[in-house]
Amino acid sequence: MRKIEHICERILGLAGGVPCEVTAEEREAALTRFADNVISQNVASSSLNVSVRLLDAGRSAKVNLNQADDATLKAALASAREILKRQKKDPHQPALPGPRRLPPAAGLYDADTAGLTPAFRAAKAAELARACRRTGQTAYGTVDNGWSRVTIANSRGVFAQHRESFVTHSVTVRDRDGFGWAEQPARAVGEIDFAGLNERARAKAAAGRAPREVKPGRYTVVLEPAAAAGLVSYLGVYGFGGQLYNEGRSFASGALGKRVLSPLLTIEDNALDGPSAGMPFDFEGQPRSRVTLVENGVLKAVVHDRKTAKKAGAASTGHALPQPNYMGPIPLNLAVKPGQGTLEDLIKGTERGLLVTQFHYTNLLRPLTVEMTGMTRNGTFMIEDGRIAYPVKNLRFTQSMVEAFAGLEAVAAEKALVMEWGALSCPAVRLAGLNFSSSTKF
Amino acid sequence: MFKLATKAIEIADKHGADFGDIRVVEDRGQYLAVKNGETAGLTDETTLGYGVRVLYKGAWGFASGSEMTGRAVAATALKAIAIAKASRLLMRGRVRLAPEPAYQDFWQTPFLKDPFAVPVQAKLDLMFRLDAVLRRDRRIRVSAVSLRFNREHQWHLTTEGSRIEQVLLSSGAGMTATAVQDGESQLRSYPCSHGGQMHGGGWEVVEAMDLPAHADRVRDEAVALLKAPRCPSGVKDLIISGNQLALQIHESVGHASELDRVLGYEESYAGSSFATTEKLGKFRYGSPIVNLVADATLPGGLATAGYDDDAVKAQRWHIVKDGVLAGYMTNREFCGRIGRDRSWGSCRADGYANIPITRICNLSLMPGSSSTEELVSGIKDGVLMENNVSWSIDQKRLNFQFGCEAGWEIKNGRKGRLLKNPTYQGITPEFWGSCDAIAGPQEWRPWGVANCGKGQPGQVAMMTHGSSPARFRKVRIGVHG
Repeated sequence: MRKIEHICERILGLAGGVPCEVTAEEREAALTRFADNVISQNVASSSLNVSVRLLDAGRSAKVNLNQADDATLKAALASAREILKRQKKDPHQPALPGPRRLPPAAGLYDADTAGLTPAFRAAKAAELARACRRTGQTAYGTVDNGWSRVTIANSRGVFAQHRESFVTHSVTVRDRDGFGWAEQPARAVGEIDFAGLNERARAKAAAGRAPREVKPGRYTVVLEPAAAAGLVSYLGVYGFGGQLYNEGRSFASGALGKRVLSPLLTIEDNALDGPSAGMPFDFEGQPRSRVTLVENGVLKAVVHDRKTAKKAGAASTGHALPQPNYMGPIPLNLAVKPGQGTLEDLIKGTERGLLVTQFHYTNLLRPLTVEMTGMTRNGTFMIEDGRIAYPVKNLRFTQSMVEAFAGLEAVAAEKALVMEWGALSCPAVRLAGLNFSSSTKF
Repeated sequence: MFKLATKAIEIADKHGADFGDIRVVEDRGQYLAVKNGETAGLTDETTLGYGVRVLYKGAWGFASGSEMTGRAVAATALKAIAIAKASRLLMRGRVRLAPEPAYQDFWQTPFLKDPFAVPVQAKLDLMFRLDAVLRRDRRIRVSAVSLRFNREHQWHLTTEGSRIEQVLLSSGAGMTATAVQDGESQLRSYPCSHGGQMHGGGWEVVEAMDLPAHADRVRDEAVALLKAPRCPSGVKDLIISGNQLALQIHESVGHASELDRVLGYEESYAGSSFATTEKLGKFRYGSPIVNLVADATLPGGLATAGYDDDAVKAQRWHIVKDGVLAGYMTNREFCGRIGRDRSWGSCRADGYANIPITRICNLSLMPGSSSTEELVSGIKDGVLMENNVSWSIDQKRLNFQFGCEAGWEIKNGRKGRLLKNPTYQGITPEFWGSCDAIAGPQEWRPWGVANCGKGQPGQVAMMTHGSSPARFRKVRIGVHG
C-alpha cells in the first residue's frame, strides 16, 4: 500500500489545476463479541477510504473510493471532472479554504492499544464469562480496539493529519430477570478498569432481580453518566449546530444570551484537550476552537463551519463535517462541567425518585424543544428516602430536554467518557422531573 | 474476481477449516441532494474489497481487506483463522451450519434503465425544479430533494463449492418541506420520510414516483400543519398508512423475529425479543387477519436476491400466519435451534468489510379486503396517521412509540381536519391483536427501509415492507411530553 501522503499528492496532481480536497481515513479495527457466556463473533477489518472533492467556481463533485492505484485514481478524477463540467454554478458554494495554523493534537494514540491481539480480547471476555458462570449469571458484551488516522489535504496547501487509538470494554450481565451494564471507552487500554466494570455490571444485575412495576408519571431522576450523556448529546446536536440555528429550528435560535437551562449547567465543546479531546481540526482542515455553549444555564454560542458562519454573520469555530453535509456543523467533543459530590450523594439527596443506568432507543419527536422519547434499560431502581429501595420494570419517557435540563437540580463531580455522536464527558446528574409516559413488561 | 477469491478458499481448505467463504464486493453508489436551492450533496462512490469467514474447529473468525492481490487475500484468510483460534478460548460446543446445496449461479436485479447512465445534470434539473416548487411559500425554511442509487456486485465462493455472482441494484428518491413559524416547525415528505422511497430497480423507480405531481401538496400540507391543532390525547381508533405501517412492521415484527436476537446474541447492543422460541406455532401475535410474510423473492424488494450471504437460495415464508407466530429470520448457524434442518435464508452483510449476520428479510403485511374509505367509515372517534417521523421501541420489542408527520381527525365515519404532532404508543402483541381491518391489494404498496442498523460493529441493511392501510382499535394516541 502506498503512503497516504503520496496518494494525496497524486490526487491533487491529477486534479489538473481544478481546486481539489482529499480526505482519507485509514482504519484498523477488531472486535470480539460475546453472548450467552461464549464468544459469538470475532472480527477484524482493515480499510482505507479516500474522498476527493472538486470545487470549481460554484460547481462541486465528490468521489469516494478505497483503491489507490493509478488507474482507479485517474478514472475517479475523470468522473468527477465530468460531473463538474455539466453542472450549473451554485453561488452559495464557498471556495476551498487555505491553510491555517493548527493546534497540537492531545496525544490520543497508544501503540499497545492499537495492537491488542484476538487472544487478549478473548481472555478479557473469558474472565467475565467464567465469573458469571460461577454465579449463574450470563455475560454479553464486546471488547474492541484499533486505530484510525484522518488526513485532509487540499490544493490551496492545507495538510492536516490526526491519528488516534481506541479501546472499549462493554459489559451486559443478565441475572435471571435482572440486568446490569457497564462500559468504558478509552484511548489507551491501561485506562480501562476491566475488573471494575465486570463487577459493577454483575452487582447491578443481581440487585435488579424481581423488578416491580411502577406507575408512569413524573419522577425526580438520578441519571448515571451514560444516561445523562444520552440526553445531553441531543441537546448538543439539535441545539448548538449552526445550520439548525440559522434555519430557526434550534431552541438557541434567537435565545443566545438568555438563561434557558439550569444555572447548574455548563457545557463546552473542546476537541483540543480535556476529557473529550479529539481531532484538533475539522473536515476542511481548519482549526477547531474551544466553544462554551452553555454557561450557568445561559446559551452562549453555537458551532459553525465556514458556510453557516457566513450566513449567521459569525466566525467559523472549525466544526465542519465532511462537505457537503446535510446536518451542517455539530459539536462532537462535548464536556459537561462537573459539580460536587458523588452519584451516591445524588441518591442520598433524593426523597423519592428513579435511578437510571442507561437509556435505550432514544429518538427525537420535536427538534425545536428537543422533545424526545426513549426507554430505560439495564438497571432502573426506585429511590426512597435517599436510598435505593428496589428495582423497577423499565419505563418510557417522553419530554422536552430543554424543559428537563431547566430543572437540573444537581451535578456530581465524577465524570465518565461516553461515545455518542462523538466523545462526551458527562457526570451523573439529578433532574427535578422527567415525564415517564408508559411502562413495559420487564 | 473468482480467481482472486480462490486464494482464501485454498487457505481455508489447507488449514482444515470446517467451513470457509469469501465475498468479494464492489459497491457503486451515487447520492445527490438539493437543499434550499443549493447543491447539498453530489457524491459518487466506488469501493472494492473482500471479507473472509472461517469456521475452524467449531469457532468463527472473520477478517476483511481491500488490497486486491493474492498475497493480501491469503494474509486476510490467515488472519481469520488466527481469530477463529482465539474464539476457541471461550466456546461451549462446536458451531455447526445447516446444510445447503452448492450453487453455481448468476443473479441480477431486473431493471429497465441504468440509473448511473442517466446524466447528472438531468438529475439535478429535476431536483432543482422540485426544490423551487417546495419553496414557493416563505414559511418553508428547509426544502430538500434527494436521489440515491446503489449497485452491489458480489462474488461469493464457499468451501462447499458454491460459486455465486450477484448484481443488486436499487434506486430511490424523496422530497421534504419543513415549515417554520412562531416557534413551530412542521414537515411533510413524499413519497415518505427518512430520505424517501427506495426499491430494487433502475431509474424507472424514480420516474414511477411522479415527484412533480406531489410537490405542491407537500409544501401546502407542511404549511397547513403549522396552524393545525395538536393531535388529541386518549384511547382512540387508529388507521395507519404510508411508510408508518412499514416501520411498525419493521420494529415490532421484523427485529422481534430475528432468531439471533431471540436467542440472546444481540443482548449487548440492540437487545433481545419477547418472541421466544417456545412460542413458535402457538403464540398469538395478532388478530386472525394478520399475516406477515418474509419474502426474498419479492419483486422490487431491497432484500431481494438470488441467495443470501450464507449462500442459501431465496425463499418465502410466514413469520405470522393467521395471527400466530409461525417463523423467524434465520441463518445457517442458528436455525437448528428451532428444529429446522435448513435456514430460511436471511443472513446478510453490509458491504465487504462486515461479517454476515441474521437480518430482516423483505417482510410484508398481506392485504385484506377492505379499503381506506371503509376503514374510515367504521370509526366513530379516531385518527388517521401517515409517514414516520420518530420511532422507539424497548429492547424486547414490546413497548413502542411512534411519531408521524401528519394526522387527520376521524369523527363519525368521516375524515376531517389535519392534526399536527400525531403519536401513538402500544405493546406489540396487544397492538397487532387490535387490528380489525386491512385495506385490499389495490392499496398495497412496498415501502423500502434503507437504513436498518444492527450489530457490533454496526452494519446497515436494506429491506422492503409491503402494506396497505390498516385499522387498529383502542390505541393510546397523542403521547406528548
